[in-house]
Amino acid sequence: MKISLARVRAHRGNWTLFAQGTFEEGIHLVSGDVGSGKSTLALLLAGLSLPASGMVERDAIASAMIAFQFPEFHVTGPDLECECKAWGVDPAPVLAAAGLAGRERTNPLDLSRGELKRLILGCVLARDYDLLILDEPFSSLDCAEKERLCTRLSGQKRGITIIFTHENAHFPRVDRIWEIQGGVLYDRGRLPSALGHWDHAPAIVKRLIAQRKVPANISHADLLEAACRT
Amino acid sequence: MQDIRLRAGTAALLSLAAFTGTIGAAVVFIWWLIFASPLQVLRKMRAVIPAILLIAFFGVVLELTGGGGIAYCLRMTVIILIGAWVYTGYREGEFLSLWVWLLGKKIGFDLGMIAETGMQSLHLMVTDLLRIRQAQELKGKPFGPGNLVPAGSILIRDAIRRADETAELMAMRGYTNGGSYCPVFVTPLRDIIAGIAALCMGIIAFVPVSEFFILYH
Repeated sequence: MKISLARVRAHRGNWTLFAQGTFEEGIHLVSGDVGSGKSTLALLLAGLSLPASGMVERDAIASAMIAFQFPEFHVTGPDLECECKAWGVDPAPVLAAAGLAGRERTNPLDLSRGELKRLILGCVLARDYDLLILDEPFSSLDCAEKERLCTRLSGQKRGITIIFTHENAHFPRVDRIWEIQGGVLYDRGRLPSALGHWDHAPAIVKRLIAQRKVPANISHADLLEAACRT
Repeated sequence: MQDIRLRAGTAALLSLAAFTGTIGAAVVFIWWLIFASPLQVLRKMRAVIPAILLIAFFGVVLELTGGGGIAYCLRMTVIILIGAWVYTGYREGEFLSLWVWLLGKKIGFDLGMIAETGMQSLHLMVTDLLRIRQAQELKGKPFGPGNLVPAGSILIRDAIRRADETAELMAMRGYTNGGSYCPVFVTPLRDIIAGIAALCMGIIAFVPVSEFFILYH
């Protein structure tokens, strides 16, 4: 199971994104500044937009899903229960996990952006996809929710999960780090060796590396372990 | 057409000319074919074809029930094409320039700003609608009439929320009314030629054909 980008180019006015590489099974983190082209690449990988040149090839991927940055785009149900059912998931556990139990009859669009984000992510993560793309999954979430999402994502057992984010404090355990810089996608490699080449690495990671305390991964627990290492 | 003053004036004149009758619609259509870069307009604004089909549907209904549907359809189609030409030629800030030039830095500025924020919202809604369609298709719900209500609801709520946030932000920054703005216009020769041609088309549409031919009398 893999998805490959073969000399892919996307254009938006004078701006160009160039991407090449293969995403294999596991959790991938694609980092980059706001406006660097993360959402453009996410749409290309999801097959929702076509490259100007090059090819996006899927191998043994039977099901794919993308969670957009703005959760409103996903809403189709008139209330939370219908919304969960529209995703093909059991409403009770998803609503409970999202902290929305007892609000089955609420219109999803009456929720705050953060609540709606929790609900949509809950629905997306309640199902198994061969390819799961999460575009800025941490936006609109508070620190506790971000950590909860990280724990949930770290537990992904199968499929290809690609997380596009400019987040620099909360991360799940990931297998590989990618980075978009100057309109080019760079593969920084597997962890922990990728950390040394990761320009967008959070300050804490850079500091730990400088102290020769290279963390095994980038989750909160891994960073804590490295920081406390003697 | 780069000069918004000419473009807006031309659009108003041609829309009126097209609305007067089928001869007016025909001459305006010829103008559109010559000066409006038709392929570019149709490529940039794909909603034109569905809009024309919708008008055609109502035209057929009107023709079957009371008559006059075909003429209505032709006139409205040409007006839609002129509207699409104005929309696709839009450059950020030009409505602000137009209204300030027309009505000054108080009322003109306010009207121009309303027009600009309206255009901005329209652009955002087009992008949002695409994302909504994609999201619904990913959920296994092909976009169709049944999905129009939730999609429309999302678009309207988002537009109101953005407008609300923009208004609050502007109030916080001390905006009350009017503003300082110096509009700059570029008027190439091609714009002037297209404007004169539009004026000729308008005269043809409004003045009876017999008036042109002295021998006819």
